[in-house]
Amino acid sequence: MNLLELKVGEPRLIKDFSQNQSVYFKLLSLGILPGDEIEIMGKAPFGGPISIKHGSQTFLALRRSEAKQIEVES
Amino acid sequence: MLKQVEATILLIGFPNAGKSTFFNILTGGTRKVSNYSGVTVDVGHGDIESNKNEGLQLKLIDLPGVYNLIPTSYDEAVTVQSLLDLNDYHQADKVVVLLDYQRLEASLSLGLAVRDVVGDENLVFVINKDDESEINAEMREEIKQRTGVQTLSTSALQNNGKVLDDFLRTLSYANKIDLKNKLPMTEESVKYFRKTPELDRISLKSDTEISSTINWYHDKSRDVLEKVIAPKNTKAKITEKIDRFVLNPFFGGAIFLSIFYMIFHALYTWAGPVMELVETAIGGVGELLTGIMPEGLLQSLIVDGVIGGVGGVLVFLPQIMFLFFLLSLLEQSGYIARAAVVTDKLMGYFGLNGKAFLPYMSGFACAIPGIMAARTLSNPRERVATIMTIPLITCSARLPVYILLIGTFVPKQTVLGIFDSQALSFFFLYFLGSAAALVIAKVLRLSFFKGESGNFIIDLPLYQRPSLKAAFMQAWRKGKAFLKKAGTIILALSIVIWVLSTFPKANPDLLVGKTEAQVASISLEQSMLGTMGRTVEPVIKPIGMDWKMGVGLLVSFGARELFVSAMGTLYALGDVDEESESLRQRLINEKDPVTGKPVYSLAVAWSLLIFFVFALQCTGTMGVLRKELGSWKVPLIMFTYMGTLGYLGSWIVYTYLS
Repeated sequence: MNLLELKVGEPRLIKDFSQNQSVYFKLLSLGILPGDEIEIMGKAPFGGPISIKHGSQTFLALRRSEAKQIEVES
Repeated sequence: MLKQVEATILLIGFPNAGKSTFFNILTGGTRKVSNYSGVTVDVGHGDIESNKNEGLQLKLIDLPGVYNLIPTSYDEAVTVQSLLDLNDYHQADKVVVLLDYQRLEASLSLGLAVRDVVGDENLVFVINKDDESEINAEMREEIKQRTGVQTLSTSALQNNGKVLDDFLRTLSYANKIDLKNKLPMTEESVKYFRKTPELDRISLKSDTEISSTINWYHDKSRDVLEKVIAPKNTKAKITEKIDRFVLNPFFGGAIFLSIFYMIFHALYTWAGPVMELVETAIGGVGELLTGIMPEGLLQSLIVDGVIGGVGGVLVFLPQIMFLFFLLSLLEQSGYIARAAVVTDKLMGYFGLNGKAFLPYMSGFACAIPGIMAARTLSNPRERVATIMTIPLITCSARLPVYILLIGTFVPKQTVLGIFDSQALSFFFLYFLGSAAALVIAKVLRLSFFKGESGNFIIDLPLYQRPSLKAAFMQAWRKGKAFLKKAGTIILALSIVIWVLSTFPKANPDLLVGKTEAQVASISLEQSMLGTMGRTVEPVIKPIGMDWKMGVGLLVSFGARELFVSAMGTLYALGDVDEESESLRQRLINEKDPVTGKPVYSLAVAWSLLIFFVFALQCTGTMGVLRKELGSWKVPLIMFTYMGTLGYLGSWIVYTYLS
């Protein structure tokens, strides 16, 4: 399943990224690697970006289309 | 006599790691710092303050933040370029990679990538945000053992620049840096450089190779930090709690709107009383000088020219300082990145990236830093569309004009029970500018700058309590810059306006048997400025303006505040009524010499306001546009489209209201 399918507040481990290079590249640069724990903190209304927690200390936001490209363990 | 040895240090690190904060602490500099990524987009140079006591003269170079050495936007390319230039200019002796304790692993992987380019003997790691001194000597030694790089941990928040200063002085500066290895680069990333890097400095790699390189550095970094403890997550917990509200699907938008309405409301109503004090004081000085100076040209120059012109603008100092104070508090808190999240969908509807919210936000202070901040947008078409619309955002130079006209001509009443009509008009003008920016951006993105949107993956920094001191400092600096402008360009222009509107003297035959008020009005009309104003009058008549306002508009194309100072001088000269001391009273009292009716009405005031919302009246902005876009073409297009919008808008409002 992908990250977007997760509910708010359910931590999961990242399995893999899709092959969209620019998204993959950016996530890697921010230090988000397969095997890391990730959790959705909130979803903006009207299909806006989602905010996520990576590990226990860092927070970031990305668009839903980008979240779809992150595979998580089910 | 101390021996003068010079050494230069490059500051590199993650965005929002605190590079500019350290730069300011050590050099006494005033680089803008905030709590979000991408505030620094250019190179800053500075001498360390303790140089005056030491033989070793240290220089610091502050660079935009990067996540790795493969640029994905223009500001990141600035930093990588500085590294590539090391061989040509031999300008650096050491590189300091500033690591962010809150994201140590990711920022250390950047540090390791830098190490492989400059070598470990030329490199130092400084871990910032170790606010509670959790990293002990053992852990630092561990990092040094595993990376070969000397490591220090500190906290810019505790303001202990001394620790870093002393540390930098203990290093040896024996040799200049030479690049040890070529920098891996993708074809895509090469596009962000101003000049294409030479091929002996870089090696082109495929995207897959680059990804695995970055991955490798992260794994390496994870190994190094095996025994280093993560910071306590109290701050992260607080951030989570606040974000539950701020990024909530239901409250998020409402919180966003209330914060911005509060700012403009506060700006309008709270700074008002202070402004009236300044106004009374300046009026008093004018009156005093009129009393003690003999009547004549010199008195007129000082009282009407200088006090009327410069004084008219000075009145707005409290508002300018208050605006920057409030913006600083908001920026320091960490909310701005959340605002970008809340607005991404809306911005996306207009063809812009949510990241464009940050340059737009800077535009509320001044378009110039806003235009430069657009360097953080990776998609070139989105970037140009953003740059072309930033000057529509209401900047602080429009503030005096808005407050003067709204405060004088919009009747004060309560609307819908809670809103103040004047504060609401004020908020409306800010809203109108921003809405126009978005609509124009949409038009541009549908026509000349079509294409996909860049990615929107953005850091959300931990919230921090804004420092009042830093906000005061920011307000003070901006206030000082405003005073400097008043004392130089505005003063000079006020004198020029006074001269042009006093000479040549009117033919004495025309003045025989006229009242004092008629004499003043005829003298003005016969002056050089009067002749100029009369020439432009036919153009501005349809939008309800007379020749005096025309003169104000003409000079405002230099800088918007000049409108207020020009009005100040012109109406002081035309004024013979002893009672009115402030520009506001003079505007109300201004009568048409022929019909005897007041010149200003609500329609005229709104016509002027609307013109200021749209028109690009700022030579400084034009210069920066030329620099950032590389030619005069786009700046001239912007000047034309904004001017046209201003004129049409004014015409519609004037026709409708009168």
